[in-house]
Amino acid sequence: MIDGTRLEGRIRVERDGTVTAFSGKVEFGQGIRTGFAQIVADEIDVPIERVTVILADTARTPPDRGTFGSHSTEQEGPALRRAAAFARRQLIERASAKLNVPADRLRTEEGVVRDGDGRALAYAELVAEGPLTGAIPDDVPLLPRERWRYMGKPRPALEAVDIVAGRARYAADVRLEGMLRGALVRPPVRGSKVRNVDDAAAKAMPGVVAVVREGDLVGVLAEREDQARAAADAVDVDWDLPATAAGETVVLPLHEDKGIDAALAEGATRIERTYVCPPIANAPIGPSAAVADVRADGATIYGSTHRPFALREAAAKRLGLPPEKVRFILTLGSGTYGRSSSFDAPMEAAVLSKNVGRPVLLQWSRAEEFEWSPSRPEAVLEASVALDASGAIAAWRYDEHTNVHTSTGFDPAYGGESSGRNAVPPYRIPHAQVTLYVEPTPLRTANFRSLAASENVFAIESLMDELAHESGQDPLAFRLRHLDDERLRRVLERVAERAQWGTPRGERRGVGIACTSYHGTKVAEAAEVEVSPSGAVRLLRLWAVIDPGSVVNPDGVRNQVEGGMQQSASWTLFEELRHRGARVLTSAWDQYRIATFRDAPLAIDVEVAPDPAAPSSGVGEPGAVPAAAAIANAVFAACGARVRELPLLPERVRSASPAR
Amino acid sequence: MKLTLRVNGADHDVDVPRRATLLSVLRDDLGLVATRFGCGAGQCGACYVLVDGAAVASCLMTVDQAVDHEIVTVEGLAQDGKLSPVQDAFAREGAMQCGYCTSGMLISATALLRRSSHPSDEEIRDALAPNLCRCGAYGRAIRAVQRAAAT
Ligand code: FES
Ligand code: FES
Repeated sequence: MIDGTRLEGRIRVERDGTVTAFSGKVEFGQGIRTGFAQIVADEIDVPIERVTVILADTARTPPDRGTFGSHSTEQEGPALRRAAAFARRQLIERASAKLNVPADRLRTEEGVVRDGDGRALAYAELVAEGPLTGAIPDDVPLLPRERWRYMGKPRPALEAVDIVAGRARYAADVRLEGMLRGALVRPPVRGSKVRNVDDAAAKAMPGVVAVVREGDLVGVLAEREDQARAAADAVDVDWDLPATAAGETVVLPLHEDKGIDAALAEGATRIERTYVCPPIANAPIGPSAAVADVRADGATIYGSTHRPFALREAAAKRLGLPPEKVRFILTLGSGTYGRSSSFDAPMEAAVLSKNVGRPVLLQWSRAEEFEWSPSRPEAVLEASVALDASGAIAAWRYDEHTNVHTSTGFDPAYGGESSGRNAVPPYRIPHAQVTLYVEPTPLRTANFRSLAASENVFAIESLMDELAHESGQDPLAFRLRHLDDERLRRVLERVAERAQWGTPRGERRGVGIACTSYHGTKVAEAAEVEVSPSGAVRLLRLWAVIDPGSVVNPDGVRNQVEGGMQQSASWTLFEELRHRGARVLTSAWDQYRIATFRDAPLAIDVEVAPDPAAPSSGVGEPGAVPAAAAIANAVFAACGARVRELPLLPERVRSASPAR
Repeated sequence: MKLTLRVNGADHDVDVPRRATLLSVLRDDLGLVATRFGCGAGQCGACYVLVDGAAVASCLMTVDQAVDHEIVTVEGLAQDGKLSPVQDAFAREGAMQCGYCTSGMLISATALLRRSSHPSDEEIRDALAPNLCRCGAYGRAIRAVQRAAAT
């Protein structure tokens, strides 16, 4: 295991003066490689072109808790920064000994240590005597902000040029000597057990090398992919279907003030509402893929996952190898928004490879990706709220009914962070009660961008809008009168300004607003829509103002927030995964509409409003969170239709519209 | 079957099953992996290549249909080691996140600019509509095409 508390586990200054930085984090297009390169280049003081960042290779990078909850920069950035600063200090000390000049008379400049008299030693010369090592101290002095050349400045992703040039490599692009292609034989329903396999016909087909059965996994290996698929179709498996046992409901109080019943009963106005979010698919453009090369004495797995080190553990267990004999190497991954927290393809590829002793590439088909992936669970959000005579919230009862949001199952100890994420509103409420009900359904569910926050914030921010309208208050002012969080107030006020809140938009057009505080990041969004008499919603513009603490790469933040809002707009307007029990009824893109170029708004305006005094918090997820409510609130503003069930399909909008 | 494909300006002899898709031959026989598999059904745009200058789903074309046509993949867009204006504009605008859909978009955009050198916003959206992007990079991609058109 590489030790991330030691310099040699984090930063290597190479003999040619370039710098390699190591992190167990993974990249899915959140731009973390770029952010880390900016941090390291500044702190060790070299041009950024000389920095290479190696991510998630279990044989080369320190372990990590996983890339979740948009936390990457927050946790890992400071660790890399201290390591780079420590390396810089050691380089100065070495130069000091060589030049016989006290360290405090030396300074660094673009990969060179200089004294005041024109003498200079390049980093390359300084590491010739041996690599930099040592435990990274907590209190190593950092370069002051004036010396930063990269941090805090916008920068396109490092991968961008490789991607446009066609040089980027994803899991399905790995090519190894002797590699076979795999295809799985799927049961009628998840959890089925193999009774018997008849593979005679399949084995006789062109290109087929083996039919593998291990436990309840059945797959075909062939020279070409289409051969593997054709043969998989020809394998005749007799399956035992699983008994459908309904799991137990877990009830978890997330917040409980005393006297809620009385407070609700005494309120001057009381409203009760139910909001519904359907299950939706992660639906990555690239279906799950992995390459595994499993030999008797060790295994290498290539792929992308949010949890590289956990994947290694799981693979070692499944393959019967000690963990140090299993190496996981991260490739670029198609954005999966949480999907690859489940280790499906890497584990399956590993089992297939183990059975033939040759490398195997397994890439799921589009139909498999829709039918066999976990999805974001359905959520039903029930609220009962009382306002006092002044129109302030007096009592708030909120019940969230949903299913498991994490690939590792539901752990009540983290319930408020997973399936209950953002169920507790950020507003000042004297009597609140928030309860999470995790009600297992047969549909396979797991991580999807922001976990339950998107569903909860859709409900809470729609409800805030309804409360304001019911009591004749302005939705912006109504939010502000209940908000103590200064940073959240600031982004909310700012987004209202940018969206020209309060300015009428004309016939059948309207603006909606919503905000949230997500893992320390403050974000407020506004949407402008036009609703046709048929109920079709056209998204015209989106605005976001985001304060994620201090910011390393403002353009990276903007890109993430734009993407998050666009994706969330797609969920909100179009998406619902159809299923019957455990069986997903969608198998192709023409049955699962997502936003296309034609649906993209005219503009997405993102203002990054950092608070340099606050630590960096995530940006990958929060942008997606308030957009649904902003859009639904805009629909109400445009045509008076309050739609409480997503997606905002034309027929729903039409039937919710007030009679004209 | 043995046949010769013309890809990125050079002839390539391959020996593959006749009904193999052009996509699989590009990726698995010619090593041109920048053309990506997304759906195999002509519904996502990830596998687009230029066939005689037009954007075509290589997952729907069999290799024998591709004979006698001029195929260009993303690897063939750069000229003399220099990125094409479309590639350059996508990189400069940061018009991607994970980048999985990018190859297909570059192909659609290149085909568009070939037939219409100064496309309107509407034309860009229509031309790229078959290219799905789950990361939501549409806005930036539109700007990238506009930038490429301006150079
Ligand atoms: S892979 Fe060809 S269009 Fe999707
Ligand atoms: S950038 Fe990820 S799918 Fe488009």
